[in-house]
Amino acid sequence: MNARFEKRLLLAWLALSAITIASLWVGSLDGRGGLSANAAITFGVIAVALIKVRIIFREFMEVRHAPVLLCRLTDTWLMITAVSLLGIYFVGRATS
Amino acid sequence: MSSPLERIAWHWRHNAKLELWIAWWAMVVFYQLYGLLFFVVTRVQPPPPAWWDAPTVVQWFNDNHYGLLVGFGICFLITGMLGAVNALLAYSMRRMSVSPAFAYSYLLIYSLSAVPGMLLTCVALVVGAMRPDRNPELIRWLYDFAFMAFDGTMGVFLIGSLIWMVAILLDKNRVFPKWFAYLNLCNALTEVVVAPAWIFKRGVFAWDGAITWWLDMVVFVIYTAVFITLIRKMILREDFGTSALPDLVEPEAAAAPPGLVRAER
Amino acid sequence: MTNLASVRSGPHEIDLRAAASYLAKSTRFVPGQPDMWAFVLFEALVFTGYFGIYMVHRTQNPELFLGSQAQLDLRIGVLNTLLLLVSSWSIARCVRAAREGAYRSALSQAYLTLFFGIAFLTSKVFEWSREIHKGYTLSTNEFFSFYFFLTGIHFLHLLIGFVVLGVVVYQLWSPARRSQLLVETGATYWHTVDFLWVMIFALLYVMR
Repeated sequence: MNARFEKRLLLAWLALSAITIASLWVGSLDGRGGLSANAAITFGVIAVALIKVRIIFREFMEVRHAPVLLCRLTDTWLMITAVSLLGIYFVGRATS
Repeated sequence: MSSPLERIAWHWRHNAKLELWIAWWAMVVFYQLYGLLFFVVTRVQPPPPAWWDAPTVVQWFNDNHYGLLVGFGICFLITGMLGAVNALLAYSMRRMSVSPAFAYSYLLIYSLSAVPGMLLTCVALVVGAMRPDRNPELIRWLYDFAFMAFDGTMGVFLIGSLIWMVAILLDKNRVFPKWFAYLNLCNALTEVVVAPAWIFKRGVFAWDGAITWWLDMVVFVIYTAVFITLIRKMILREDFGTSALPDLVEPEAAAAPPGLVRAER
Repeated sequence: MTNLASVRSGPHEIDLRAAASYLAKSTRFVPGQPDMWAFVLFEALVFTGYFGIYMVHRTQNPELFLGSQAQLDLRIGVLNTLLLLVSSWSIARCVRAAREGAYRSALSQAYLTLFFGIAFLTSKVFEWSREIHKGYTLSTNEFFSFYFFLTGIHFLHLLIGFVVLGVVVYQLWSPARRSQLLVETGATYWHTVDFLWVMIFALLYVMR
């Protein structure tokens, strides 16, 4: 059972690191070297960051094994952050 | 059913916690008055912008002339009530198992902090309001001085919060829950966030900025409401040493033996 | 295996189904003090406030922010993130090891975490001095104000993290202590330093 936990933790860490390294190529995604605002990229970047944080919560911080209330609280924070950041970004883009 | 007067008289004579309750009520009344005076009467909070030029500042003083004089006049009278606040907080530390040094240093620091943190601001703004025909540049100087004294002296509150935090974390008498120690840390960190106010006259890091003032104020209000409530609970639980000591060994302190599945926490 | 349904214990019969369901519920546990979790969530909310304010200003001035962002080195940002991720991994392994009583191993994982934390610190100081050398400081423009502020307040959390790791090491050191609760509490704080950085990295270095 412990080996399974160890393996799961290792996989989580590898996945997080891989996603992080992949961000080196974000600039080349829209072909303009990253010096221009791009809503799709930003949406993706923020969403991916929140997914990374969720993985940290559930695997590293052991929220998976925690009482359901803690799962709900951490997910609520993720929701609040997602809605505020993406909301501000898209409203800001639309009005500027 | 005895009359309210009879009940008060009885409490005055017999209630062992009378002094604590008087101090607690003084604290509650002080904070209500402080809020009223600073936010409504003098309009000093939320602070007016740091980048205003001298004529605009003079205009602000003229618009708030009576508010400033009356509001801060009352402030000068009630500042002493802060003593009750500081005393109660220090008292809470004396009830802890930690050294009295914590309570004494807290008391010293906070007693000193009221000078720059509140009184200098009040004095400077009253002086500015007192003679509206003063040189506008002088008035602006007083304006800068007042707000910098208020916001820039956060270091004292930072150290005070940290002292309280460490005392609570080390305390074995469980006077306060550990999460309140961590809330002290949050409060201390927001004091640090005020530091850029010295550099910026505009934007989020100025003394009236979204980060330096607004977010900080939200945390501070929550923090104050929490500690007033917790001190009330503490006074209610106060038994002056007449009941049994809490278990000195916390139930979670013993590590689980290896290999055992933890069935309860 | 014994037919569990027929086990009796003395004069009292255990209701095994009830016992099994109780065990299933109670093997869920809060890692570390719930108090620390309250702090983590509160502080995370405060940071969401900072991020929101940053986002408002960014959308008001996208060219300035993009142009200034180009002055940052994405590779250092990636390195920083990788360092904190691996430090989170090692402190998680430390908690697991301590839970099984393998305190030697737990201690070395804690030291490893400390090492990666110091590596992050060094990298950050290096990056800041590079930016300052290039002429970008706290008051250069709005983007750099936010950059130094967010990375600075995070750095402060990291320094507190070292104190917390010190407590963890202190606990693991001697058999007289070894409070699993405190080790887990410390680990929870350290993970917070990590996940806050993940957000800061995305918002300062990567988003467009």
